[in-house]
Amino acid sequence: MENPGGSSLPAFLELQRTRVLCKADAPTHTEGFQYSGAFAAMGVDTSVSVEKFCSNFKIEINRLTEEDMEFDMIGVDASIANAFRRILISEVPTMAIEKVFMVDNTSVIADEVLSHRLGLIPLDADPRLFEYISDDVPNERNTIVYKLHVSCEKGSQRLTVKSGQLEWLPEGSQLTMASPAQSGDNQRTYTSFGQSQQNTSERPLGVKYKDITIARLGPGQAIELEAHAVKGVGKVHAKWSPVATAWYRMLPEVVLLKEIKDGDAEELVKKCPVNVFDIEDLGNGKKRAVVAKPRACTLCRECVRPTDDQVELRRVRDHFIFTIESTGALPPEVLFTEAVKILEEKCERVISELS
Amino acid sequence: MEHGSLTDSSASTFSIMEEDHTLANSVRFVLNQDPRVAFCGYSIPHPADNKVNIRVQTTGDPAKDVMKDALQDLMVMGQHVRGTFDKAVADFKSKMPAEQMDVDVNQQ
Amino acid sequence: MDPQQPEPVSYLCGDCGAENTLKTGDVIQCRECGYRILYKKRTRRIVQYEAR
Repeated sequence: MENPGGSSLPAFLELQRTRVLCKADAPTHTEGFQYSGAFAAMGVDTSVSVEKFCSNFKIEINRLTEEDMEFDMIGVDASIANAFRRILISEVPTMAIEKVFMVDNTSVIADEVLSHRLGLIPLDADPRLFEYISDDVPNERNTIVYKLHVSCEKGSQRLTVKSGQLEWLPEGSQLTMASPAQSGDNQRTYTSFGQSQQNTSERPLGVKYKDITIARLGPGQAIELEAHAVKGVGKVHAKWSPVATAWYRMLPEVVLLKEIKDGDAEELVKKCPVNVFDIEDLGNGKKRAVVAKPRACTLCRECVRPTDDQVELRRVRDHFIFTIESTGALPPEVLFTEAVKILEEKCERVISELS
Repeated sequence: MEHGSLTDSSASTFSIMEEDHTLANSVRFVLNQDPRVAFCGYSIPHPADNKVNIRVQTTGDPAKDVMKDALQDLMVMGQHVRGTFDKAVADFKSKMPAEQMDVDVNQQ
Repeated sequence: MDPQQPEPVSYLCGDCGAENTLKTGDVIQCRECGYRILYKKRTRRIVQYEAR
């Protein structure tokens, strides 16, 4: 958060404002300056108007794969970065198995434990194609139905049941409700699908990973069940969280306070477990320590022990290294944009409530 | 829901249901950047209730307007973040051939 | 349920695993091996669980 145009703060105050200092015993200046007019008496405006935010905000992507991504978010306050992280973990919706209709389970794993395991299986279904279930009426717009019917023959080897054996039923439930005989021509099932889900998405609505062990069956044991997946969010239950985890860390900044030469340089390089420092050869046998990979720093503070007079460890207050690990329903970059949209929706909701 | 005084509109507490630190802390940050705000803070009265109270005291303007402006600003910031992010992703995808996508800058 | 015609219930032998169908008054003993401990079979009635 630079201050173009206006007069600037003295260097030590600017450091306190923009950095967290990690001393050997404890970090200092961790809180920063909340109030925009904190330095108004000095003629310095440190506020972040929307225009200022837009001109300073930067995103740099470091890694992007199907299941995870890492990017640098620069020029943003921790409260905003933390809002994105919290929303990613607990408020971006996904689909997960919520109801299990157990017909038979003679395996050693108890019904409720088996159900719990089923709930945690990541599904390859785009939650944006579905609605939240309301009034407990499952239809083709809010429920995905899976069937699991496996048995281990008597006298055969033990069997491992994998998530890939869950079979998607695009036409809905096949189990009929136990109802009085006079109920007529069509037996009611546990879902009321108006049409097939076959064309809901391009891919079949299967599981994301086919090699997750669900249970093991001994000879003569069998599992027969139907599982119904619905849309939900992570704050209700972690099985709906779209991320394995989402986290950020502030950018580490490693500064050499004085020239570190020869033996001291060797010692410093050896001290660091993640090799932040490197040796620069100055010729004629002279060496000097340099900071080579500050981003690798874990702030273990090994280099500032026992004395912190040669190295200073800092963190840049408005620079976040953000990592998102998706569980597979949506790619990580989509998850982030969805999270930002949710924050916007929250604002919109409160604005309309106040109007 | 707004709790204020009938005679002085410059100070109010906003009780927002079904929200938590996610919104309250972000809004508090944005409010603190507004020069019209003399004081602002938030609390969650009880951890079991899904509710936050956001206190706004201004230098004279109606607290409700200042609050609405802050929410509006937060929304615009969100839109800007989304725009910047989408552009960065598109640039990254066009620049990186698929086999180089696993580069981790922290380990280089 | 009709009290006049008690429904036969299936049991599994605790020793050999054979299926035995017993009515009220029957001797509790496996027809295959004579073992006297029988276990009731799991119902196939649908039980609903929450996957949590």
